[in-house]
Parts: sequence; C-alpha cells; structure tokens
Amino acid sequence: MLHDLLFDYTLRTVALGAATLGIVSGSLGTYAVLRGQSLLGDAISHAALPGVALAFMLTGSKAPLVLVIGAALAGWIGTLAVMTVVRRSRIPYDAALGMVLSVFFGFGLVLLVSVQRHPTGNQAGLDTFLFGQAAALVASDLVVMATLGVLALGVALLFWKEFKLLAFDDEFGASLGLPMRRLDILLTTLLVIAIVIGLQTVGVVLMSAILVAPAAAARQWTDRLGLMMGIAAFFGALAGAGGAILSATTARLPTGPTIVIFAGVLVVVSLLFAPQRGLVAAWLRARRNRTNLREIGVLEDLYTLALQHPTDPRHPHPVATLETMTAHPESVKAGLASLAERGFAEPIGEAQWSLTDAGFAAAAAIARNTRLEER
Amino acid sequence: MPNAIDVTDLTVAYRDTPVLWDIDLAVPEGVLMAIVGPNGAGKTTLIKAMLGLVDVAAGQTLIYGEPYARQRSLVAYVPQRGSVDWDFPTSVLDVVMMGLYGRLGWVKRPGKKERAAALEALDKVGMQDLADRQISQLSGGQQQRVFLARALVQDAQVYFMDEPFQGVDATTERAIVTLLQELRQAGKTLVVVHHDLQTVPEYFDWVLLLNVRRLAVGPVAEVFTEENLRLTYGGRIPFVQAASVNEP
Repeated sequence: MLHDLLFDYTLRTVALGAATLGIVSGSLGTYAVLRGQSLLGDAISHAALPGVALAFMLTGSKAPLVLVIGAALAGWIGTLAVMTVVRRSRIPYDAALGMVLSVFFGFGLVLLVSVQRHPTGNQAGLDTFLFGQAAALVASDLVVMATLGVLALGVALLFWKEFKLLAFDDEFGASLGLPMRRLDILLTTLLVIAIVIGLQTVGVVLMSAILVAPAAAARQWTDRLGLMMGIAAFFGALAGAGGAILSATTARLPTGPTIVIFAGVLVVVSLLFAPQRGLVAAWLRARRNRTNLREIGVLEDLYTLALQHPTDPRHPHPVATLETMTAHPESVKAGLASLAERGFAEPIGEAQWSLTDAGFAAAAAIARNTRLEER
Repeated sequence: MPNAIDVTDLTVAYRDTPVLWDIDLAVPEGVLMAIVGPNGAGKTTLIKAMLGLVDVAAGQTLIYGEPYARQRSLVAYVPQRGSVDWDFPTSVLDVVMMGLYGRLGWVKRPGKKERAAALEALDKVGMQDLADRQISQLSGGQQQRVFLARALVQDAQVYFMDEPFQGVDATTERAIVTLLQELRQAGKTLVVVHHDLQTVPEYFDWVLLLNVRRLAVGPVAEVFTEENLRLTYGGRIPFVQAASVNEP
C-alpha cells in the first residue's frame, strides 16, 4: 500500500488531491461552523452545479480551471442570492438557503442531462460532479487545487484577527470602523473557493460535509481557534486521503460518500472521546460526582450516629439503620464500600459499620464547614 | 466647547414601524447618563444608531462636534453580553485585545504592547488572574467584566454601554458602578442602557427617558420625576417606590 502510494501515479495524485481539499475545506470550515453557517456550504456547493455545466457548454472545454471558475461563479451568485433574499424580503435565512440550494441544483441537473445527451457530451464525464470521483483526478487538477487552496489559506492567515472578530462579535468590529460587510464577503468567497476545489472529488451533494465535519470534530478537542483550525485541517486531510484511496482501490465505491463516512467516523470518535467535551469524559465526571456525593451522605449519617454515643464514637451501626436515614437507601452499600477504600469506615462483624478515626475527623470537618456556610 | 454627544432628528424604522422617532439629544462632557424606558422603547437601537450599526432613516450623531466616522478613536462600545457566543474558542486576554484591533491596523497581529494594555484593563476590572481562562468557563458577571475591560482598553472619551448590569451578581454590580463613576470623574462621558429604575438616582447623574420618542433628558434631580416616568411607561411604573422618585 505504502509502495503504491509513493510510486503509483494515479494513487499518489488521488491521495494528494483529496488531502489538499481536506486541508483547505477543513480549515475554512472552522469559520462556517463557528458562525453557524454550516448550511451555507451546502447551498454554495449545490449552486455550483449549473456553473460547471454552463462552463462546459460555453467553452466546450473540460479543463479543470475552466470548470472550477464556472463552479465558483455560480456558487458565488447563489450566495449573493441568499443574502439578497434575506435582506430584501421577510423570508428567513434557512428558507432562503433551502430555496436557492434546490433551485440552482435543479437547474444544474437539467443542464447536466442535456449536456449528456449532446453527441460530444457523452465523454464529458460531468456526472462525476454529482457524487465525486477521485480516480478522475490528474496532475493538472492537482495544480489548480493546490494553487487556489494556498491562495485561500494565505488570505485567511493574513486577515486572521479580522476574521476572528467577524466570527466572534461583528457588531463590535463595525463599531471599531472595520468594514465588516466586506470582510464577510471576503470570507464567504474563501469558503466558495474551498468548496469548488473539492467538487470534482467529493461531488456537490456531499461537499458541505467535508467542510463541516472536520471542524465540528476539531472543536471537541480544543478551546483555541488556531489549534481548532489546525486539527480541522488534519482531520480533513485524513478523511480526504483515506476515503479517496479506499475508493480508488476498491471497485464501485463512490469517492464522495466514502470520504464523508471517514469524516463521520472522526466526528463520532471526537464526540465520544475528546478529553474535555467528550461524552465519555462527561459521563465519568458525572459518575465521580455521584460517587462523591454518595460517600459524603453516608459519612455524614455515620457521624450523626456516632455522636449519639459520646463515650464510644466507634460504636458500630447496622446497614439497615443507615438505609433508613437517606432518600437513596440503594446507594448506602456502595457508599460504605468506597468509604472503606479511603480508610474512613470499616465493617465490624456482620452488616455493622463504624467510622475510623480518620473518617470521624473528616466528617467533623465537613460538619464544621457546613455550619460556617449556614451562618 | 462642543457637547460630547449631539444627536439631531434621529429616526430609525424597521419596515414601516418607527423604532426611534425624531430624537434630539445633547449630552455634555463628563456625564454618567442612564437610558431608561420600557421593553421595545428603542434603547439598544438608539445606542446602535449613534454608533452607525443600524441604518437610520434620518438624523445625525456628532461626537465632540464631528461625525462619528471621524471620531471612532474617541468612542468605546460595550454590547449586550448575550450578543455573542461565549462558547467561542478563545481566551479572556484575546477578547480584551479585540478592543485594540481598530487602532492596530490591517494584518498586524497584537504584540507585547497590546498584551500589556489588555492585562492592565483586566486588572481594573479585577480579572487579571483569569487572563488565560477560556471564555466558556466564565460566569455572567465575569463575562460582563471582560466586555468592560475590552472597552477600557480602547482608552476612549465616550463610552456606550448596553445593559452592563444585566444578569450580574451584586459584587460585580458594585464593582461596575465604582468603575463607571471613576471614569466620569476622569472626565469621560458614559451612556448606559439601564433597567433598574430603583438604582437610577444612586448610580447616575443624568437620565434619558425614552419610549420611541424622547420624553425627557437632563440631570436626574430635575427630570427623574414620577410624572415623566408615567409618560414613559404609560401609567404603569414598574418596581418604583414613590420615595426613590423625585416629586415634581
């Protein structure tokens, strides 16, 4: 496999291309996710389809740059259409997105079918733009993708602090005199670039997933914008290259869906296992809290009982007594067990328990603190 | 000496409904002014209109005699705490340094000087120890202090603040009031959207009573009267004991 990756021309091109698009859309997708614009990517990619078909119909060329420019123009017009509809009418944002997405996509499908019917169109292979086909990538595609990608990432780095402000608090930015609307258009343009360079590989239908999924997964692992972008780029490259290689080496495995499944796995793993935000970490935290509360409850009850025997504070008490003292009798035994582990309580005879000296001191300290707080 | 703020004929409309109607307002330098009025009175919109953040149908705002666009360096803005996503991946220090982005110029990144200025501002709001804290871990009061520090770092002459006391604990409220009064004593002008009528006479020296129209503006002792409050709130004055309101 590694040998093929290094020496097989097609496989190397495919892996590099898919990794490139993953890096670019992963990084820029960070802003889409943070600004709550994940669906905008979906609208842009669907809106790009008629641009691809029109570019081919007008020029008769399938050169990657021609098709990408067509896609970018159409995607951009689609975005402007969304913004205009939202600003000029009472139609809400999500409805405007859905409308533009489906109308542009429908128009694109009509054009695509008529291109396919055309005598020269049969070999056009434009249908790869629907679900993507990594195997179709050639070196000239790679050059176009890499050039546009580096350009987009360069601009994003150049306006780092401006874009951060746009994403976090654009009204404050406007109050500082920064041209927030123009920055918004610039960032959206970068998003369009990130999307169109991936269209041929991933396809218009699923392109937005590779924009959103790596960034959403990356958010789980860090609380820093720069790091989030880096991790998203890494996840994007991983999903892109992984999915593309698998699809290129397996018969009848469509590239776009395979890449998206890879990205989806990354999201699920991140949601579950990220150290701070992950569900497993949250579950462990909750369990620890529950254990602590259970311990403290039983400790306090043992202490209350011990105080009834001033001359013999280590007088043992049956579990049944403790179980009458709490609203959660089922947790008493577990609480006693973990207190015993800490050396705060010990079993005496059968089903009888007593505080140790350390347990007595700990309980007395808790009782003192409680009294202080109540004061 | 021109006024710190001069607003003339300011009108803002959303579609056909006027939100602010023909507002005239002259605020002298060194005044700590509350904007009060019922919900939907246009308090936030007034601040945003003065800052050029919403489109106005008519009217203009002058800061020290010049249009706002030419006087930005003299103005600081504290938006409502709830207007941003506090789960955004960034740190307290980073947010405070955003106050310097306008001065910093394009492309340049904040450096040592900016860090120092931001830390100093955080110190003034009692948050220096939390400079590296992620903003998602802040309490409501701490979030508000971060926003105030971001405005302090702007080192402005005129401050616009949208509900800085909203949802903060009593300690933070006291700290903010003290800070506002210090700024006023240093000759700054402060315009603060405020909700609690009870504390107006204690905290502020000027007040603007607003309900789409300007109903009264001036020193608290003169215009914060029961009659004016009745005009503003349409007869129902919420949460005000007669004692805290000046009798006409």
